[in-house]
Amino acid sequence: MWLIYALGGGWGHLTRAIALARVAQRDRPVRILTNSPYARVAAGAVDLRVLDPCEPPEQTRRDVTRAIAECRPACLIVDTFPRGIGGELADILDTLPARKVLVHRDLNPRYVAAVSVRQFVAAHYDLVLVPGAGEGSQLGDLPVAVETGSWLVRSADEIPDRGRVRTLLRMAPHEEHCVLVCASGKPDELEWYGAVVDELRQLGAGVPVRCVAAARPARCPEESWVPYWPAMDLFGCASAIVGGAGYNTVAECLAWEVPLVARAWPRAYDRQALRARSARGRVTLVEEPEEAARSVLALMEDRPHRVPSFVNGAVEAVARIRF
Amino acid sequence: MTPPLPPDWKCPRRVGFLFPHACLRTTPVGCPDCQNGQIDDPYYARTDRYGYSRYGYYDDDYFFDYGPSYGIGIGTPDAGSMDFTEADGADLVQPGDQFENDMTES
Repeated sequence: MWLIYALGGGWGHLTRAIALARVAQRDRPVRILTNSPYARVAAGAVDLRVLDPCEPPEQTRRDVTRAIAECRPACLIVDTFPRGIGGELADILDTLPARKVLVHRDLNPRYVAAVSVRQFVAAHYDLVLVPGAGEGSQLGDLPVAVETGSWLVRSADEIPDRGRVRTLLRMAPHEEHCVLVCASGKPDELEWYGAVVDELRQLGAGVPVRCVAAARPARCPEESWVPYWPAMDLFGCASAIVGGAGYNTVAECLAWEVPLVARAWPRAYDRQALRARSARGRVTLVEEPEEAARSVLALMEDRPHRVPSFVNGAVEAVARIRF
Repeated sequence: MTPPLPPDWKCPRRVGFLFPHACLRTTPVGCPDCQNGQIDDPYYARTDRYGYSRYGYYDDDYFFDYGPSYGIGIGTPDAGSMDFTEADGADLVQPGDQFENDMTES
C-alpha cells in the first residue's frame, strides 16, 4: 500500500493528495492520512483516514505515528512538510522500511532554514517531486528532485460534459458563462468570498454569479451557492474566477486558461502572493471584496466553448514514484 | 578560544540587514556577523544600513532577474503590480518564529 501524508488545513494538501491517489490507485491500494476539515466532502473518491482537526497537536502527532505503523506502507508519500506538520515524522522516518517520497509544494524559506529542511530531506527521502513549475524553489535543486506538470484532481478526459456543468451551475438557457467564486481556504475566510458575491450582484448588471463552496458563506444568497466538489469540473462555464492563490486554484485556472482574480491569503508555510505573481500574468491580486468584483467584471472573457486539453502531472508523478 | 559546543548547538544571536532573524550557524568560528562571538547582537550592531534611503525603490532590472514568468514589461499590466500584500507580510522575518505547532496551517 502507498500512504499519502496530507496533513494541513484547508483544501490544498487533501486535493493534491487525491489528485495523486486517483491515478495511483488504479494499480495498488492507496490511503490518504488527512486532518482537513473538508475531508467528509471528498469521502468516497479515495481511501481516507481522517484525523480530527480540532484535537491538540500532541494527540495528532500520536495519531499520525499510530496510523503509519498500522498501515505499514511500502511507500510513504509526504505532502509539503518533510518532518511532518508537527515535526512528528522526524523521529520515525529513519526506521520506517518504506520508500520515502516528498511532494515539494512551495515552502517558506524561514521554515526551511529554521529546522534545516534541506539537510533533513537529503538524508531521509528517496525522491522529491516538484508538482509544477515554480513550486520547487527551496528543494528543487536536490539530486533526488524531479519536476512534473501541475497535479490536477481531474484529468481532461474526466471533466463532465458542458450540459452537465450547466445543470450543476443552474444556468438559464440564455446564459453561456458565469463568474465563479471559489470559496476555499480556512473556514474563517469564507466571509470574504460571500462579500465578493454580494458586490458582484450589486455591480454586475445581470452577470450570472455562482459561488462554489462546501458551506454557504454569509452574504452569499442560496440561489448563488453551489455546494460541489471538485470545483475545477465547472471551470469550462466560467468567464473568470475569484479565488485564493493556493496551489490548486492557481493550477486549475492555468490548466483551463481562465483568468483568476485572487486574494493571496497569509499562510505560515505557503507563499501565495509569490505564486500568483509567477503565474504568467493570468492572476490579478486583490485584497478588498469590491476590488475583486470590479477586477473580475473587467477581466471577464467571452469564451468560446472550451474542450479541456490539459495534461495532468499526477500521471507522470505516479510513474516516477513507481521506479 | 571558543569553548566546546554541544553537537546540536545553534547560534541564538540576531543577524540580518533589513530584518532581524536567528543566525542558526552551528559555530561562531569564522562568523562574519558576530566575528567569532565578539558581538552579542550583530543585527543591532550593523551600521551599514544607515544612510541608505531607497528601500522601497526597485528598478526594472530587479524584476527581470526573476525571469519573464513574472510578467513585468511584457505587455501584461495586470501582472505588473509589485505592491506588497498582507501575504507578503507573513513572509517577513519575525524573531522567535515558531513552526510545527499548528497542525491546521498550510
